[in-house]
Amino acid sequence: MVIKVMQIILSPVLALAVGVFFLGLARKIMARIHWRYGPPLIQPVIDMIRLFYQKGVSHGRMFDLGIILSLAGSIVVVLFLPFGGIAPLSSSGGLLVILYIMLLAPLGLALSGGQGANPNISIGISRKLILSLGYEVPFLLVLLAVMTHYKTISITEVVNAQQRVGWAIISFPLFLSGLSYFLILPAILGFRPFDVSSAPQEISSGPMVEYGGKYLALATIEHAFALFISIALFVNLFLGGAANPVILFVKMLVVFVLGLCVNAVFPRFRIEQAIKYLWKWPTLLAFLGLIMTLVIRS
Amino acid sequence: MSLVALLIVALGGALLTYVLGKVSHRVRDSFAVFISLVLVVMVACFYGKTIEKAFYFGFFGLPLVLRINMLSWFFALAITSLSTLSIIFSLSYMKDRERTNFYYLMMLIVNAAMLGIVFSGDLVSFFIFWEIMSWSTFLLISYNRGPALAAGMKYIIMSIIGSITMLIGILSFYARYETLNISEISTLIASAPSGYILFILVVFGIAFGIKNAVMPLHTWLPDSYAEAPSPFTAVLSGMLTRMGIYGFLLIMYVIVGAACTLNLGPGILKFNYILAWLGAITIVIPTFIAMLQNDAKQLLAWHGIGQGGYMILGIAFGTSLGLAGGIFHTLNHAIYIVLLFMSVGAVQYRTNGERDLNSLGGLIKKMPIAFIGGLLGISGLIGMPLTNGFVSKWLIYKTLIVEGYPFLAFAALIGTWGTILSVYKFLHNMFLGQLPEKYRDIQKSPLSMQLPMIVLSLAIVLFGILPGIPLKVINSIGTSFGFERLNVTLWGITSETGTLNTINIFSAVLVAGVIVWIIFRLGAKSVPVPQEDSYAAGAHTPADKYHYTAEFYNPLYRMIKPFLRDVIDEFYYWIAASVQRLCGSVRRIYTGDVGYYVMYIILFLAFLIFVQLKWKPW
Repeated sequence: MVIKVMQIILSPVLALAVGVFFLGLARKIMARIHWRYGPPLIQPVIDMIRLFYQKGVSHGRMFDLGIILSLAGSIVVVLFLPFGGIAPLSSSGGLLVILYIMLLAPLGLALSGGQGANPNISIGISRKLILSLGYEVPFLLVLLAVMTHYKTISITEVVNAQQRVGWAIISFPLFLSGLSYFLILPAILGFRPFDVSSAPQEISSGPMVEYGGKYLALATIEHAFALFISIALFVNLFLGGAANPVILFVKMLVVFVLGLCVNAVFPRFRIEQAIKYLWKWPTLLAFLGLIMTLVIRS
Repeated sequence: MSLVALLIVALGGALLTYVLGKVSHRVRDSFAVFISLVLVVMVACFYGKTIEKAFYFGFFGLPLVLRINMLSWFFALAITSLSTLSIIFSLSYMKDRERTNFYYLMMLIVNAAMLGIVFSGDLVSFFIFWEIMSWSTFLLISYNRGPALAAGMKYIIMSIIGSITMLIGILSFYARYETLNISEISTLIASAPSGYILFILVVFGIAFGIKNAVMPLHTWLPDSYAEAPSPFTAVLSGMLTRMGIYGFLLIMYVIVGAACTLNLGPGILKFNYILAWLGAITIVIPTFIAMLQNDAKQLLAWHGIGQGGYMILGIAFGTSLGLAGGIFHTLNHAIYIVLLFMSVGAVQYRTNGERDLNSLGGLIKKMPIAFIGGLLGISGLIGMPLTNGFVSKWLIYKTLIVEGYPFLAFAALIGTWGTILSVYKFLHNMFLGQLPEKYRDIQKSPLSMQLPMIVLSLAIVLFGILPGIPLKVINSIGTSFGFERLNVTLWGITSETGTLNTINIFSAVLVAGVIVWIIFRLGAKSVPVPQEDSYAAGAHTPADKYHYTAEFYNPLYRMIKPFLRDVIDEFYYWIAASVQRLCGSVRRIYTGDVGYYVMYIILFLAFLIFVQLKWKPW
């Protein structure tokens, strides 16, 4: 019981640490690719502490509640993800629940931003929702392939099965799905070339435009969690999970840096281009993966 | 207390309400609420009872039978509770309209007819109540006149086609078995050849498919939902349309029986598998069409079609999880769609009937209860965890995935993700964003509108956190059909291939929410600012509704619009137009002018004489 409570408290804290580290690392690596020096690794932490004590504006109750809901949703998802052997709540509903609770974060931000009554927010949210429809098509196909292959909806079962028979990414039908997930990862994270919804130069960071002070701090924390969640999900589903948090961290780091290097050199898509891309190659791969999985299963 | 008494109270109460309305509107209003509450209590008293009793033998010697079991009780309670709430909602919504006596009469008659349908123990009374329901629905849909008349006409024509196919099925039963008692037929039909069973399932399936708006029989629904008065749209979408689901359950699992229905046809061309695919198509296409709508009620109406697909998918898939999911989704959908139509109705009531999403906005501070209703309603519609819609959808997804039908599961899941887009637009364009100048002094909704919305909001959360309450009843419906018993607890479902525990999710969200809230409070205090005070990167933010919310998903529209024409509706219209043209040409001959008919007779006689003179055949 005590161990379980400790796990529940510890895993979001660790996830946050990893997420914030990745945020700092992303800026550093991007800067180096651009031949700049870049900010120090702990810059996001400094920013957050500073922002937390700065005054922000509020547009109403939903504006406040939305951001709280969004962050709370992200924390709950972390509790459902296997965290290198630790999985406090993963037996309460499996992958389907994770999939749905992952909605709370963007929906909370959208509701919060909605009350902001700013054209940039509306444009940003509209793009974010369209983009999410774009990547959900391959994403759902990928998850269905995994669940059909292992005949379970429980993510811990998927991890255990991989510990027994080897990583999913190197097994035959699932490597297609894994590749597809890797291709849409930047879209899920909102990284370039898919940063249409937050495009700073174009629509002043979209949904974030009215946030200042603690709102911006909480939104950054939420972003850190989101970063952790989508990469950890990839590692758990395709790279065999991990026996302890350190191995999980190493695997995540490899995936993250790899993804960052590929995507740091692309300019931003327009939203139509993003959808066209997402509904073409990643969807095709995911679709093939699912069909192969079905054929092999029957 | 007998079922006959219940139906007499329902029908008599309706007539009495009309009479009382001639005396005083106030008395009529309270009596209408009273009678519908009495019905709720009466139905609730029948919990767990199984009665089957003939009460009248005069109909061509066929006994008319009323009966109740868990299935009818479940539907009856949902019907009576939701129509009570919608009658309470009507009190202020219909206040200053004309023909209100007629409106209440029809509302209560629809209610009584639906009760009659679920309590019918033979197909004659089933058909009679079905027709009463269809016709009074037609009158209510066309209540507002104008475009509502056309919508009502479309509804009644499709409804009649459904009734005729159902009548063919009923007559074939009578010709074959000489009885129309449901329980007798269900024992006799076991020995029927599979071709006959398929015929029965198809003719009844067309009737119920039209009522439940399964693609390609859905075209009556969007216009009817949009044009009917909002409190009635709530009843129509919540329960009346779902009489189709009751019908499917009745024909598939009560009359024909699960063993027979689920093994009809070879391989992947099984009857129930095809029906499940129709359900899947019904989920996906309407959900994407809903994204293109700019009318709040049309948008919800398309979702009404789409959500009906989940119910069909769950029921047709025919596992105990799928069946439970399908039936549970019927209840859940009823709760949240009624709430959503009430939320739209409340806004319409205060804004002179405005339901165009492009001209509303920012009403959250003016109508907080309607907003909360809308928010919980869309959460249920999406199937957010901790709302009722989540549990039923989870059951359906899980059975599809575990049984190895990922493409059906994909259709169901992508339907949900499409839903998010359109319902966010729905909520945003009505309650969030900029408040237009003309709505600055708007009042909040009256108490009689707030009350039903609060009750329904609580129900959404209650069934989301403790789904075991309705699932216990649904479980016994499933076992009465011969399905395996599910392992239901108060807060979820346990099984080897995946467990759901809503109370854990609830505690996690609650604790995380409280912690984040405390952190939020610890930060520097924020300054409340009016909506005009926003940062637009140096550009000017227009004081009235800014342009961008009008075409909320414009980039996506441009991409998907060419693929989303309602071809089926156009095809039906083409048939209607061809029939009209045909009749028009017939009319050239049958002009109605006596002179023409005299001419036809003379020409015909001349022809006969000519024949006689030429060939002398006579």
